[in-house]
Amino acid sequence: MSEAADMPVLRARGLRKEYGKGEGLVRAVDGVDLDVSAGETVAIMGPSGCGKSTLLHLLGGLDRPSGGEVLLNNRRTDNLSEKALARMRRTDISYVFQSFHLMEELTAVENVELSALLAGRPPRAARRRAEQLLDQLGLAGRSRFLPSALSGGQRQRVAVARALSNEPLIVLADEPTGNLDSAATLDVLRLFEELHESGQTLVIVTHDARIAATADRMFSMRDGAFVDETRLTGGTTGQLGALVGLED
Amino acid sequence: MQQEVVLAMLAKEPSHGYQLRARLRDALGPLGDAMNAGHVYVTLTRLERAGLLAVERPADGTDRPDRKVYALTPSGQQRVAEWIAEVGWPKPDLAEFHLKLIAAASAGLADPLTIVDTQRRELLRRLRDAQRAAMAEPDRSNAALLLEGIVLRLQADLRWLEACEKNWTHRRSVS
Amino acid sequence: MGRILLVGRLAVRDLRRRRTEAALLLIAIMAATMTLTLGLVVRDAASDPYQSTREATNGPDVVASTGQFADLADLEKLATASGVTEHSGPYPVIAGKLETSGRTSDVQVEGRDAPIATVDQPEVTQGNWVSDGGVVLEAAFANSLDVHVSDSVTLGGKSFKVVGLAVTAAMAPYPGSSCIVSVGCINGAIPKDGNLPPGLLHNPGLVWLTQADVRSLAPAQDSMSYVMNLKLADPDEAEAFVDANSGDRGGAMMPMQTWTSILADATEVARDSQILLLIGAWLLGLLAVASLSVLVGGRMADQTRRVGLLKAVGGTPSLVAAVLLAEYLLVAVVAAAAGMAIGALTAPLLTESSAGLIGSAGTPSLTWSTVGLVTAVALGVAVVATAVPAVRGARSSTVNALADAARPPRRTGWLIAISARLPVPLLLASRIAARRPRRVVLGVVSIAVTISGIYVLLVLNTFLSEQPAIRAYSEAQVTVLRHVLLVWTVILLSLAAVNAIVITWATVLDNRHSSALARALGATPQEVTVALATAQVLPALLGAVLGVFPGGYLLFAAIITITDGDSNKATLPGPWQLTTLILATVLAVATLTAVPAHLGGRRPVTETL
Repeated sequence: MSEAADMPVLRARGLRKEYGKGEGLVRAVDGVDLDVSAGETVAIMGPSGCGKSTLLHLLGGLDRPSGGEVLLNNRRTDNLSEKALARMRRTDISYVFQSFHLMEELTAVENVELSALLAGRPPRAARRRAEQLLDQLGLAGRSRFLPSALSGGQRQRVAVARALSNEPLIVLADEPTGNLDSAATLDVLRLFEELHESGQTLVIVTHDARIAATADRMFSMRDGAFVDETRLTGGTTGQLGALVGLED
Repeated sequence: MQQEVVLAMLAKEPSHGYQLRARLRDALGPLGDAMNAGHVYVTLTRLERAGLLAVERPADGTDRPDRKVYALTPSGQQRVAEWIAEVGWPKPDLAEFHLKLIAAASAGLADPLTIVDTQRRELLRRLRDAQRAAMAEPDRSNAALLLEGIVLRLQADLRWLEACEKNWTHRRSVS
Repeated sequence: MGRILLVGRLAVRDLRRRRTEAALLLIAIMAATMTLTLGLVVRDAASDPYQSTREATNGPDVVASTGQFADLADLEKLATASGVTEHSGPYPVIAGKLETSGRTSDVQVEGRDAPIATVDQPEVTQGNWVSDGGVVLEAAFANSLDVHVSDSVTLGGKSFKVVGLAVTAAMAPYPGSSCIVSVGCINGAIPKDGNLPPGLLHNPGLVWLTQADVRSLAPAQDSMSYVMNLKLADPDEAEAFVDANSGDRGGAMMPMQTWTSILADATEVARDSQILLLIGAWLLGLLAVASLSVLVGGRMADQTRRVGLLKAVGGTPSLVAAVLLAEYLLVAVVAAAAGMAIGALTAPLLTESSAGLIGSAGTPSLTWSTVGLVTAVALGVAVVATAVPAVRGARSSTVNALADAARPPRRTGWLIAISARLPVPLLLASRIAARRPRRVVLGVVSIAVTISGIYVLLVLNTFLSEQPAIRAYSEAQVTVLRHVLLVWTVILLSLAAVNAIVITWATVLDNRHSSALARALGATPQEVTVALATAQVLPALLGAVLGVFPGGYLLFAAIITITDGDSNKATLPGPWQLTTLILATVLAVATLTAVPAHLGGRRPVTETL
């Protein structure tokens, strides 16, 4: 394997985020180190309030760290201006949110193309790419629907399509199945597996073990810091029978 | 393999041993692969000895197990009826694991948190595999349904392990 | 009774929770009611100036003077002529010169006594009535000379102290005074080549002294003229009386003036000021209502959600409507009372300086009809503001109301399609505007009304500047009129500014989510700021253009029609002026919206998402 392939796409070193001061100091993120390689899916699990969403905001440039560094393709992002961060969010990093955050008055395809339009792509190309993505994600017949006419799982798929619209280096997902029922969750799970197979780098923050289980690596987070790392690849299919007690 | 399960699979009509195995594999999907042929036949023999099954000899008189046709006896049918009406649920291993942690802590055999973490990792890997398997099966098939149950169970078990971790961490910080 | 208490308690608690919004509503209603009150009060004062003075002073139906040929005895005979019910005088009048800190003016000096006359007792607007050594000036005359009470003036070589200013109905206000001295007077501009008889008074003002002081100033007994005020049994017979009694009596003509002709003179002078004041009143009334609609319309969306909340905690639709109404009523009543009080208190500032001009007496007061109208407007707004969301909330399900789904942003398909082709800030701006088309319309209307008003004010200002010798306006009058214009302009602009800020603020709040989302998707803060500001500036541009044409033009035409004026006298603003006006408006709106827009663009994204 060449060195370029080994170089992590996203790196965090000693990342910290603090609020308040003195007695009221709250360490939302307390010294996190993270390396994400290209094509990897990384899951960050933890109870609510452990700081995982804050960490994701720091990684994606939506918030500024109190200390430490974030490097995207070996370039520091934590000290960029707001303008540069915005440009970064157009092309390199994109988000999938728990509450989808689609514009209610735009149709599915208009929501998806918005990313590309904000990045300055010509409107026709943006529209074409949006239709294409919706097609790939199984929403071909619903591209002209408003979000209110779509189910939760479909809305999240539109959100994922929007995130993929500018071919980002990394997709950051914040509790992507938090607002979905189990059928829709399965749907999104499949989607993430497909993304993983297509080589997309993903960082997912979740408290749902099923989503975490789709990852290559999983970090447990507590009180703002990583407490555990698990490598999940390495099949154990042969032991499936043990799961149902078929051997007694 | 629970004996009652095999009995129940024969309730519809008598069948050959190999037919029974096929039906089981169909119902269990990839999990059925783990089943080995010997298991089934051993169970069938036990049930025959217990008088719940009767064997109809094949016409050609050979004594090959897979050629035998098995059918339920009246007491076999009764047993099946009783089994269907029972509401027992297969026992999860919680008590055993729970005792494992306490014993390890009190005797100083190992750090309970390490035990929990190791178990969590194992369960996560199993969850991943079960999930992968579930997604490979066609929607709404028998196998998919079973796998979904396994996945949800594992999820619940993992939640309990998280609680264990929290609890034992707290115990350590207090002591 | 319990229910009313409950409603009251809920209303107060709710208001306390939304302090800033309640305060803003209070300010807006107060500004609106104040301007409305100001407009109405001034209109009352200006619409019939002479009449109020006449009533206050018991003005005469006929004023008779000795002139050049008649003598005192003839005048006294009139007191007993048929048809006369009351009279006052004859009072001595002489011609004189008044000097004060470098300015000199011709005056007619009338001698009066301290006791109150039965007919024509001038109404003192400042200070006191005549006393020995003290002179009282007619109010308009005093304004033009910039003389105040307790100043010292020189009259006929002697020094007098100004003890008061007064208005009278026996003569039109300065500079339209009638001539009651024998030497004769001339009003208006002096013709350059005129051969004028000596001693002719030019634009004389009217002053009063005690009779003793007048006699002491008179050079000779027979240089004194006399004036008498008569009240008739039938005021409408004044013309007939004059015809009957001033006729040729051995060649002597006794100059007499009927109250109707004095009214005509007074009105002539007051007309232009009156028009100005009326225009201002109308404009302000319009703008006040417009600004209220903007504020109320802009916040109505929020009401629907609160209706949902109240319903969710167990309120029936009628209870909810009652609470909303109570809240608005509370704010509206307090605001209306405050606005009316301020309006009534500030009205004299406007009318006082022009009191002399329009010859009205006393301070303009709140009539019951004014109070009623203003209160009705304030309450009307309260009811409308409550009715719509209450009805909507009652109809919709609680869940919908809570989820804010009751008023989802409007979808304008074609605009969304077009905006895709625009650069990013314009894309965002047009979509922001398209979400709430009604607010955009309100913004356009508000600016259009303001600019129409400014257009008309510009016309009036030009008219005042190019004062040829056609009119008898003195510098002082022009200054006063300009002053009035300035006050109107300031109020107009302030109200418009408040509007603009409120609309922007409402837009920023409304777009918190989509701004944050746009930034998360890669829009820079500058792009979002520009978008938020442009969403105001473009409607303002449209409003400014509409305000100039056809707005201002139509408004001007309407005013000319209402006041029966002569549009030939006015020059309409030229294209350069109008372009500058439009550009200035756009710039002003951009500046006003810059701060809220900037704050909106920089808000941390993570808070909102």
